[in-house]
Amino acid sequence: MNGAGLILRLLTACEVEEEEHEALGGDLESIMESRGLSEADILAAAKTYTPSGKLDEYVLLASGGHSGLVLAIGVPSMRILKYVAVFSPEPFQGYGMGGLGDAVLYGEGKQRGRTLTWGDIHHPNLSETNGDYDGEFMFVNDKANSRIAVIDLTDFMTKQIVTNPLLASSHGGAIVTPNTEYVLEVSQYATPLGGGFAPLADFQKSYRGAATFWKFDREKGRIDPARSFAVELPPYAQDISDAGKFASDGYVFLNSWDTEMAAGTLGEGKPFLESGASQNDMDYLHVVDLRKAESLVAAGRAVEINGMRVLPLDVAAKEHVLVFVPEPKSPHGCDVTPDGTGIVVAGKLDTHASVYEFSKIKDLIERGEFTGTDPFGVSVLDFQKSLRGQVEIGLGPLHTTFDDTGHAYTSVFLDSTVVRWNYTQLDEPPVSMPVQYNIGHLTAAEGDTAHPKGKWVVAMNKMSQDRYVGTGPLQPQNFQLIDISGPTMQLIADLPIGLGEPHYAQLIKADKLKTLQTYTPAGVNPYTDARGTGAVAPGEERVERSGKKVDVYMTVIRSHFTPDTIEVNEGDEVTLHITSIEQARDQTHGFAIDMYNVSVSLEPGRYEEVTFLADTPGVFPFYCTEFCSALHLEMAGYLLVRPKGG
Amino acid sequence: MVTGPSTALRQPKTTHRSRAIAFAALAAASMGASWFLPWWRFHLLAPQYPEGLELVVYLHGLGGDVQEVDIINHYIGMAHLADAAPLERAWSAWLVAAFALATIATAVVRLRWLPAVIAAMLPVGFLVDTWYWLHRYGNTLDPRAPVHLDPFTPVLFGEGHIGQFSTQAGPMAGFALALVAVVFGVLAAIRPRAHASPAAPPRAAPPPGPAR
Repeated sequence: MNGAGLILRLLTACEVEEEEHEALGGDLESIMESRGLSEADILAAAKTYTPSGKLDEYVLLASGGHSGLVLAIGVPSMRILKYVAVFSPEPFQGYGMGGLGDAVLYGEGKQRGRTLTWGDIHHPNLSETNGDYDGEFMFVNDKANSRIAVIDLTDFMTKQIVTNPLLASSHGGAIVTPNTEYVLEVSQYATPLGGGFAPLADFQKSYRGAATFWKFDREKGRIDPARSFAVELPPYAQDISDAGKFASDGYVFLNSWDTEMAAGTLGEGKPFLESGASQNDMDYLHVVDLRKAESLVAAGRAVEINGMRVLPLDVAAKEHVLVFVPEPKSPHGCDVTPDGTGIVVAGKLDTHASVYEFSKIKDLIERGEFTGTDPFGVSVLDFQKSLRGQVEIGLGPLHTTFDDTGHAYTSVFLDSTVVRWNYTQLDEPPVSMPVQYNIGHLTAAEGDTAHPKGKWVVAMNKMSQDRYVGTGPLQPQNFQLIDISGPTMQLIADLPIGLGEPHYAQLIKADKLKTLQTYTPAGVNPYTDARGTGAVAPGEERVERSGKKVDVYMTVIRSHFTPDTIEVNEGDEVTLHITSIEQARDQTHGFAIDMYNVSVSLEPGRYEEVTFLADTPGVFPFYCTEFCSALHLEMAGYLLVRPKGG
Repeated sequence: MVTGPSTALRQPKTTHRSRAIAFAALAAASMGASWFLPWWRFHLLAPQYPEGLELVVYLHGLGGDVQEVDIINHYIGMAHLADAAPLERAWSAWLVAAFALATIATAVVRLRWLPAVIAAMLPVGFLVDTWYWLHRYGNTLDPRAPVHLDPFTPVLFGEGHIGQFSTQAGPMAGFALALVAVVFGVLAAIRPRAHASPAAPPRAAPPPGPAR
């Protein structure tokens, strides 16, 4: 009996009474027949279906693309667990809607003085300890506005946004070094570093890229910009990056796809960037010696641009902080193998995955064996001498992730496949499996760590085409769960993502996440993790007036606000200091006021602060936006703004 | 207090006395230890509390989900749990100490059944007092509360139902230990038959019978 047959037997042999079978619409076989399900479908359902109350084994933390959100998704059920607001205002979490989160989103998040209400999240990266996920933090980059955000995984809240003072776009982030000493952010489109104008004719002279090493202070759970630095790079359109581990620890690797230094038509009839940047057969894999860069910066060899220490390109070239290895035309993925010995580069316009041998690269650098330099004086290694080998993967290979059996899984965009191959000996014929459609990133269970878990791969497809019921021309993206535990890969579940285009995701064992159920003791400002400055205990509620400033110290508990009547005068600056004194799990309240564009979330024990100018006289009901209790509707009050002279 | 024992019985009487004191001391120790342990529990189950809520009663206060139960109780106008039995909680340590000392003292002065009676007063008193406070709380509901309930007495032992909650109430380790103290008190009172002891004197006198 095969597996599906066994499951059939098990399911049909269950103890449900015959009458109930009838009521549910027949037995398994007739359901299969009427819904057109195969035995493989039933097996896939048995592997993924998660009955109510059972928990997922893994959590997929996925980019929400230009929605500016991060998604948490349970695996294998493929149930969406949460949206985490990062670069966009989000009323459910009360982020950027008049509460304390404004200081992160609109304060820290300001880029060059501008308030931004969206971001383009590309690469979520979990914090690591000794090269393995530790489940403590997550970092994401905003490609559009070159920012990095820090998400604390105890409460899945965005705690910090840092803005890159050098770059105007960043793609190769937010990867971390094996102990999360640094979070890397690498430029994509070259611009004059630090902003300012330079004509495109001066592209080679004035445009630059940079690899920014944001120093992470784990103790504080925040990036420390003052201890961060960058390495100046040529204007080669740097791309995806990865950090070395074990033997390659202390190095980072980045791709580039515009060594041609094409910059579009320039209004002069030059080819579009897509052609201009695709002329050379080889671009450059950047090998960055992080330890050496660190010591040169410490020795004062950096210059300061907009407050960021930058190691100049000529220094980086001369000191071999930066060394190039040719890589096949316009690559995309750059992934270090779990053992740290190899770097897998896949070229969008090349059919191969190229595996570089780190020890060979290191030997060549140490022996000073270079084939020459690029126009900026950066030493270039020999391609063949740096290689472990190449494997023919298919059309448009992009990204690579790993399992626990020495296999690599590469997403192949044009073929719309996931290809499994052996990255150690390169001696197995690659096996491919179709996905739907146009796969971008893919991720295996802890697949980019020192100890991948195997079992699952999630394919993140750019198109869904015919996969779902139509919802208009803007179609969902398509996440697909693949069982990689058997000799053949099997596609077993789809999840449509109706948000801005997700890019990368990481898949972490659920039991590594140690999340809070409540903020305890009550009164925690979730953005500082400390007691809120205006947090009060029951009995301490009060209103304080000082001239035109009114401070209201409120508590919130089922099913009332204390106080529930607030009277101010037109023109007063009102600050509500709101403390949820709830301590029961999932007992969340909200706070919203008519017209003042305020919506904050008050999870048990959370402290919030809402400040607004009472510039419109009138009567404004406020209420709890969560159906917190049977008397939720009654959980309301009035803000009375007395007119001037009234 | 010792009234005319025959010479033949003096030795066994002394043995009985030290045995009674030893058991009384054990009873006192059990009472003392019980002060640190939970005596009673109320486990509340409702659809929205899959793990239930737990109230644990100590002689010196309450433990468990007190705030949450208070929040639920406020809908029916019940007073705060922390305000219940203020005197009992404040004096519980002294009370237990006094009972423990009295148990030993009555054994020392050979008041045969008094140690057991004193020991029994603690758990019995606890039950009566707890019932009193449950009754009082259930019968002094704030008439302005959002939900109007007829006065009731929450269940002290076994299962009760109020609204969507079902409550299981019953004893815990502290109460059990208090009962153990009663058993020790009874053991202190019982005089084993003389022949049970290898050092027993010749059966010149009638054996001590059970108290009646």
